[in-house]
Amino acid sequence: MTPLVDVLTSRYAYVLFALLLGIGLYMIVSSQNLVKKVIGLNLFQTALFLFFIASAYLAGGQAPIVHHGGKEATYVSPLPQVIVLTAIVVGIAVTAVALALLVRIYAEYGTLEEDVLREVRSDD
Amino acid sequence: MSPGAIELVLFAFVLLTALATAAFRDVLAAIIVFAAYSLGMAIYYAVLLAPDVAMTEAAIGAGVTTLLLLLTIAKTVRPGRDEIFESIHWSGLLVVGAFTTVILVTVTSFPEIGASDAPIVSNPEVSQYYIEEAYHDTGVENAVTAVLAGYRGFDTFGEAVVVFAAGVATMVVLHTEVFTRD
Repeated sequence: MTPLVDVLTSRYAYVLFALLLGIGLYMIVSSQNLVKKVIGLNLFQTALFLFFIASAYLAGGQAPIVHHGGKEATYVSPLPQVIVLTAIVVGIAVTAVALALLVRIYAEYGTLEEDVLREVRSDD
Repeated sequence: MSPGAIELVLFAFVLLTALATAAFRDVLAAIIVFAAYSLGMAIYYAVLLAPDVAMTEAAIGAGVTTLLLLLTIAKTVRPGRDEIFESIHWSGLLVVGAFTTVILVTVTSFPEIGASDAPIVSNPEVSQYYIEEAYHDTGVENAVTAVLAGYRGFDTFGEAVVVFAAGVATMVVLHTEVFTRD
């Protein structure tokens, strides 16, 4: 294998992280439909979670269930996992508010397409 | 560490479902594929030894998010049934391609996945304290739970405040008049 391919396969989760960030950002930027933009936001977010979890991973380690003090084995770090748990819950809160706003936008303007909304708004 | 068979299958599955989510024009199809993506991601977290995160992602990402998205299109519209795939937005693709390339270039200077010279392993003072002392300090065998509800209990309380605020904001936006008299 060439050195670059070698480097990338040993960092495969980070490569996936970069590609998923791109897909999520593309959905946020390019989707005309607002629901798909919110899905893109969620996709972007799960890619970041993957980055945290992959950085905590230790080959040959164990999940951080330490029983009675953790001296008998090596464990993966629990701290990035804690911050991701918090971020997942905050993410669902953000998604809920965003979707509630979309329901109101639809009730007010009768569309969820960005280009149509822009025309309707400029007519007001 | 080079990826094993499970990692390769999950890599392909997650990447394909993410691409399908972006490509489908029908929003209902995108939501269903996104639920499959979340499930694949949850399994990936479990493979990377994060069982607590995997369970939360399966319940919240694949469960609650999908439910909220389905409720939204049930209350509004389900557009895009005329064509199967989105047309490609070239200027967006160009910007996002540049962004992804920059991130991919930085990936080559990260430590390898699971390597013992990764910063979180080679500087173990903080992590190691929680792993060794969590049971004595809190009496909880799961170090993640001990940090979340014990050491950083006030942060978790703040998180609960965020969820409460989101609930209030949702009710205000939707004009749910549960607290008003008519």
